[in-house]
Amino acid sequence: MNERDLDAQLDALFAQARANRPDTSAAEFAFETRLLARLRARQETGSIWAMTSWRLIPFFAACAVALTLWNSQVVTEANETEQVIYVENPGLLDSWNNLN
Amino acid sequence: MVSAKSSTPDEQLVEATLAGDDTAFAELTLRHKSRVFGVAARFAGNAAELEDICQDVFIQAYFKLRQYRRDSPFEHWLLRITTHKCYDYLRKRRRSGTLLSVDALLESGHEPSAPEHPVPHPDLERLHAALAQLSPKERLVITLLELEERSIQEIAEITGWSPANVKVRAFRARAALRKLMENQK
Repeated sequence: MNERDLDAQLDALFAQARANRPDTSAAEFAFETRLLARLRARQETGSIWAMTSWRLIPFFAACAVALTLWNSQVVTEANETEQVIYVENPGLLDSWNNLN
Repeated sequence: MVSAKSSTPDEQLVEATLAGDDTAFAELTLRHKSRVFGVAARFAGNAAELEDICQDVFIQAYFKLRQYRRDSPFEHWLLRITTHKCYDYLRKRRRSGTLLSVDALLESGHEPSAPEHPVPHPDLERLHAALAQLSPKERLVITLLELEERSIQEIAEITGWSPANVKVRAFRARAALRKLMENQK
């Protein structure tokens, strides 16, 4: 079969397919009801997550404050230790400065 | 409540939906579902996939309703989403390897593009089996052009390809389809 015949055959098949639209009436039945149910379910899931996030805010704020306090305490202790070392070994500070 | 809105223009229903009235969106769905199902059925592999595609289309439309600009009819915007979803499904199906061979499709009598078709014509079955063998892009362009009778310009707008690109893809898709049909003989 040559190319032109195949093209004509294809065109005829396309025309047939266009005329024979798939019957989707069964699938369409009560579609909007199912869709709205799914939309509500998605919105509820979304609102649960949003609510949980808001409820967790005080917890995370408390964590942030605790971490800041702990961090400042550690820094102060480190500074004090550093000063003690330098006081006990006066030559150390000079060596450190020479290195830099 | 839905029936009272049957004469309301689409744009007003969109506004009402954005204001939080879900029954307005139900009316929009009721009004346009046949068109969406009609297009999606050309691409869906079975009834479950058809339902999934259509639900995804309307869910995306619902959540992206603010992006709808009133410069074209609501149906055009919805059909653009439908086409994109169908294309996504074609790609997903190809990636997951659920594409059946032409022989397997013909032997099983399964018609991939017409989930609820009562008596599939043998020639049409061959056509659908061959369509199922095309790449997602080829199938998209040939379905829109030949089965949905969209113009080159419309397809370019839907897909974001240039009109010249659409013509080239359509030409290649047709050639591939011709070859597949020839091999089936």
